[in-house]
Amino acid sequence: MAKVLIPTPLRQYVEKKDSVELGGATVGEVLAALTTQYPELRRQLFNDEGKLRSFVNVYVNDDDIRYMNRDATAVNDADTVSIVPSIAGGSAAGVIERAATLSNEEILRYSRHLIMPEVGMEGQLKLKNAKVLLIGTGGLGAPLGLYLAAAGIGRIGLVDFDVVDFTNLQRQVIHGTKDVGRKKLDSARDTMLDINPNIRLDLHEVALTSDNALRIMRDYDIIVDGTDNFPTRYLVNDACVLLGKPNVYGSIFRFEGQATVFAYPGGPCYRCLYPEPPPPGLVPSCAEGGVLGILPGLIGVVQATETVKLILGSGDPLVGRLMLYDALSMRFRELKLRRNPDCPACGDHPTIRELIDYHQFCGVPRQAPEPAPGLSEFEIEPVQVQAKFQRGESFLLIDVREPHEYQICRIPGARLIPLGELPRRVHELDSAMDIVAHCKSGIRSGKAVDFLRQAGFRKVKNMKGGIQAWSDKVDPSVPKY
Amino acid sequence: MLGASDGGRKLVRLAVPLDNAYAGAQDSRYELRPEDLLAADREARRRGMDLVGIFHSHPDCDAYFSATDLKNSCPWYSFVVLSIRKGEFDHANSFLPNADQTAAEEEELTY
Repeated sequence: MAKVLIPTPLRQYVEKKDSVELGGATVGEVLAALTTQYPELRRQLFNDEGKLRSFVNVYVNDDDIRYMNRDATAVNDADTVSIVPSIAGGSAAGVIERAATLSNEEILRYSRHLIMPEVGMEGQLKLKNAKVLLIGTGGLGAPLGLYLAAAGIGRIGLVDFDVVDFTNLQRQVIHGTKDVGRKKLDSARDTMLDINPNIRLDLHEVALTSDNALRIMRDYDIIVDGTDNFPTRYLVNDACVLLGKPNVYGSIFRFEGQATVFAYPGGPCYRCLYPEPPPPGLVPSCAEGGVLGILPGLIGVVQATETVKLILGSGDPLVGRLMLYDALSMRFRELKLRRNPDCPACGDHPTIRELIDYHQFCGVPRQAPEPAPGLSEFEIEPVQVQAKFQRGESFLLIDVREPHEYQICRIPGARLIPLGELPRRVHELDSAMDIVAHCKSGIRSGKAVDFLRQAGFRKVKNMKGGIQAWSDKVDPSVPKY
Repeated sequence: MLGASDGGRKLVRLAVPLDNAYAGAQDSRYELRPEDLLAADREARRRGMDLVGIFHSHPDCDAYFSATDLKNSCPWYSFVVLSIRKGEFDHANSFLPNADQTAAEEEELTY
């Protein structure tokens, strides 16, 4: 038998008792037993449609059933069920009232939502009154922005400080070719308001930091993480836990994606899944590792779906489950996640009570370190390489990129030896010969030069800036990618 | 507000301040966390008292029951609204809303 605590004003309906013992395996069954035994209580708790009145919250012990399984929340013998009203108010001065109606244009626009009972007028008004913060308007942010605007989320905050460039257009479908060079915020705003002029957009042209995150995030109900780096992910997570706001998470890499909802009451947070960041440089970014352009479309749409479900309060939220998607095998899998009671952010005894320095935590410098001025003896400028060719010097130019990159563009006369194959093909090279190595930007060829020097080569140089710099400084007909 | 209720009359013996959980301009809006109300109800039971009502203030504004107050009310409690003028208490009124949150009856309040 579970114990139901009766608030003072309702005791008149239950023979003046302050608590009642009732059977039932779920909250729904316990409340049904309560109102069967005391029919007068029914009108107090439920409206004419049989739904709990808007001001009635039900708690099992210390947990609100809205954040558990609602009516289906399990109740055990030792549990205490409490009926708690929700109370709010204020004077009329300066009050922004919640939207209570839709215009005729909106009714037409949202008609495919309105005719589904799971959304209906009530749900569409919830969407209109919702406030969602979208962090990033890149790969994930693009489909999120489009669909959240179309769905009629009343207020959407966008955080980004980047500018649209050509390499974005393969996946960031909220921006177009005409937007290259514009601020992503301006481009995203134009597209979203074109889709739905009824929404309000807040543009936050900043990098999210420990100093501004709580202030920016405080005004929103749900935070959607569309970022691509570890410091910001930990920052968004910790801020969501501190503010008690759900974090709708997605991440993408090459052909694989993940999505889940973190920091939902009772559910795990990002730190429960990844207590420590990976060593710097271990996980490549999209710019380094590539990404299938469609992939963020799918993951971003999963995030948008979860956001809308959280607002409507329908279905099973993606809480405690990490959805994994592999585009190449076209398979979805799911991992169970649990809140870690020892988690420093959301555990029983949290130690993170304010935001920290996330760049330091992740071991990532805030900006790339300045390269040393001038050339080291193992570096060479593209124009000097061009001069070597023009003078007919005897030297070997090796291209340490991958074969598929070689197919995009190449420097005439260069020999392809991918970095990974260099150790076993080193015998192909003559250590007496002048060797210049290049890659896309100069990082991999720097590693190749280091390797060759350790292998006893002395006359090796790294072409600074790679084939990108070659395109800029020597031959613009070589495409950049 | 904790105290005693005999069905008709309510006597307030202890006022427990709760956090204003409203995220936004707090001088014109308030919101109570259900957990805080639950804790206040527990405190009342522990002291052998009843939770009889909720109070909130209207800074530099009359002590009336606003549309926002009514829409977010609950018929089980008396709602005492305090008018505070330039930081000083001015006057107070008490209201009892109906179950449909469509109207509130003004109650006699002695203080």
